[in-house]
Amino acid sequence: MSATVQTVGSHKKRDLPKHIVIWMVLGLELLPFYMMLQISFKDNTSFILNPWFPSNPVDWIWENWLFGIRLIGPYIANTVFVAVSATVATLFLALMGSYFFARYKMPFSGFLWSAFLLLMLMPGVANIVPLFTLLKNLNLLNTLWALIIVGVAGGQVFNIFVLRNFIEDLPKDLFEAAEMDGASHFQQMINIVVPMSGPIIGTLAILSFLGSWNDFLLPLIILRDQELFTLGVGLIYLDGEYVKQWGQIMAAFFVASIPLIIIFLFTMKLFVRGLSAGAVKG
Amino acid sequence: MAFPISNRKAIREWRLYLFVVPSLLMVLTFAYFPAASAIYHSFFDWQGGDTKQFIGLENFRRAFGDRVLWNSFVTVFILIIANVLKLIPSIMLAVLIHRLKSDAWQYWYRVLVVVPMIVPQLVTLFIWKFFFDPNLGILNQVLDLTGLKTVLVGIDGLFGWGIFLEGIPVGWLSEPRLIIPALIIWGFPWIGSVGVLIYLAGLQGIGIDVYEAADLDGVTGFQKFLYIELPLILTQVRLTLILLIIGTLQGFGLQLLLLGDSGGPGGRGMVPGLWMYNRAFIAGEFGYACAIGLILFAFILVLTLINNKYVRIDK
Repeated sequence: MSATVQTVGSHKKRDLPKHIVIWMVLGLELLPFYMMLQISFKDNTSFILNPWFPSNPVDWIWENWLFGIRLIGPYIANTVFVAVSATVATLFLALMGSYFFARYKMPFSGFLWSAFLLLMLMPGVANIVPLFTLLKNLNLLNTLWALIIVGVAGGQVFNIFVLRNFIEDLPKDLFEAAEMDGASHFQQMINIVVPMSGPIIGTLAILSFLGSWNDFLLPLIILRDQELFTLGVGLIYLDGEYVKQWGQIMAAFFVASIPLIIIFLFTMKLFVRGLSAGAVKG
Repeated sequence: MAFPISNRKAIREWRLYLFVVPSLLMVLTFAYFPAASAIYHSFFDWQGGDTKQFIGLENFRRAFGDRVLWNSFVTVFILIIANVLKLIPSIMLAVLIHRLKSDAWQYWYRVLVVVPMIVPQLVTLFIWKFFFDPNLGILNQVLDLTGLKTVLVGIDGLFGWGIFLEGIPVGWLSEPRLIIPALIIWGFPWIGSVGVLIYLAGLQGIGIDVYEAADLDGVTGFQKFLYIELPLILTQVRLTLILLIIGTLQGFGLQLLLLGDSGGPGGRGMVPGLWMYNRAFIAGEFGYACAIGLILFAFILVLTLINNKYVRIDK
C-alpha cells in the first residue's frame, strides 16, 4: 500500500490527459440532458436567439414546467403503478423459480431449465402479433394489467438465470441448519436467500424497473384510452403535435425523468456496486 | 451447483415444484403459446379476427419475393455493423477509467457514466430527433459553427451527391440518403452505461502490479490494451456483442419513433421488425406478419447458434 502512495504523485500528472478525454466524452454524453434542462426554461423565440446557453434566471418561463407536470403527471402515475407492480411480481416469482433450480437437483429440473434457457434465444419480436391477439382474447387490451403481466412473464428468464447462479453460491450449511429447525422452503427463501442477496435483488429490481419505465412498444399497441397512457405512449403523442413549443416539450421530458432521478439518488451506490461486482456475469 | 437428491427424497419434497409453477405458467402462456401461435398462423390468410383461410406456404412465397423485406434486411445488417463499431467508445472509456491511479476518481466517473440512465431512453431519442431538426436542430448548428458544413459541401461537390448544399439546412430525417447515417449518428458518443460498468467489473482483476511490471518492460499503451486488458473483458464484450446483434436485428422502436411506421422518406429506414409491425398493425395482414416474424426468428437463431460456439450462456 505504501508503495502506491509514493507513486501517486508522479502518476497524477500522467493521468491528466486521460481525465481530459474522459471529461470530453462524458460531456458529450450528457449534452442531451443539459440541452433538455436549459431549453425547458425558454420559449421558441428565446431559444432561437440563444440556443446554447441557459437564459437569465429572471426570464425563466416556469409555465413550461407547469404544462409539463400537468401533462405528464397522470402518465407518470400510470407508469409508476405498472413499473412497481411488474418489478415486485417479477422478482418474487423469479426468486421462487430460482430457488427451485438452485436448492436441489429435482427430477425434471434439467428439462425445465432448458425450457427457460430456450426462451433466452427466442426473440420477442416474432411473438408480438400473436401476443396482441392473445391479450385481445383475454380481454386485456386497453388495460394496464396487460403491461404488468407481459412484463412479469418477459422478465422471468433473465432474473431466474442471474438469481440461480447466486443462490447456488450461498453456503449450504445455512439451509441445512434451517431445515433442522423445521423451516419450510418458503421460510428458508424469505429468511436466508432474501437477506443474503440484498444487493443483487436491488440491482435486478432497478434493471427491471428501468425496463418497464422505458417500454413503449407494447403500451403503444395495447392502450387506447388517454387516461391509461403510460409515459412512453404519452410522449409519442406529444411528439406528434404539429406546432411545437420546444420549451414545454423539454419541460415535459424533464418531468418524465424526475422519478428516475429520485430513484438513482437513493440507489446509485447500490446500482454501481451491484453491476461492478459482476451481477451480470458473462 | 444444486444438491443432487434421491428420488425418494424428491417425492417428499414435492412442494418444491410449487415454487417453479408460477414462473412456468407465465412463460408458457405469454411466451411459448404466442410463439406456437405465430408458427400456426403463418400458414393462414388472417386479418387478426375470427375468420382465417389456410393458404399453405403462400405467405413465405410472398415474403421471398418481397423487395421491401429484403431491402430491410440489408439496412439492418448495415446497422448491425455500425452498432458493433459503436461498442468501441464504451470499451475505451472503461479502459481509460480503469487506468486512472486514483480510486476516488474511478468511483466518481462510474457514477457519472450511470447518470445518462436517469433520462428515459425514449426522451433521449426524442431529444436527438430534435437535434436532427433541419432548422432548429443543434446538429446543423454545430456543423455550421465548426466549419464542418463547408467540408461536407466540398466533398459533396466533388462527388455530385446534392445532399449537402451551401446555405440550405441539411435534412437529416427527410433526405432518403441521410436516413441510415442519421440512424447511426444518434446517441453520439455512444456510451452504454451498463456496458461500461460491466467492462470495468471485468477489468477489476488487473492489479497495479501488473501495470507496473508492464511499464518496466516498456510495454506501450496499445499493447497493454491488446495483451492485458482485452483478454480480461473478452467474455463481457462477447456477451454485449451477442445481445447487441440480436437486439438490433429484432428492434424497430428506434425506426418507428424517428421515422414513423413506413420507415421514413423512401422507406430507407425500414427494418424487418418494422415491416412486420407495419404489415400487422397498419395493413392488417396478421398472417403475413407472423411469417415475417418467423423468417426474422430463423435469422436470429442462426446467429445465436454461431455465437453460442463462442459465448457460453450456461455457467
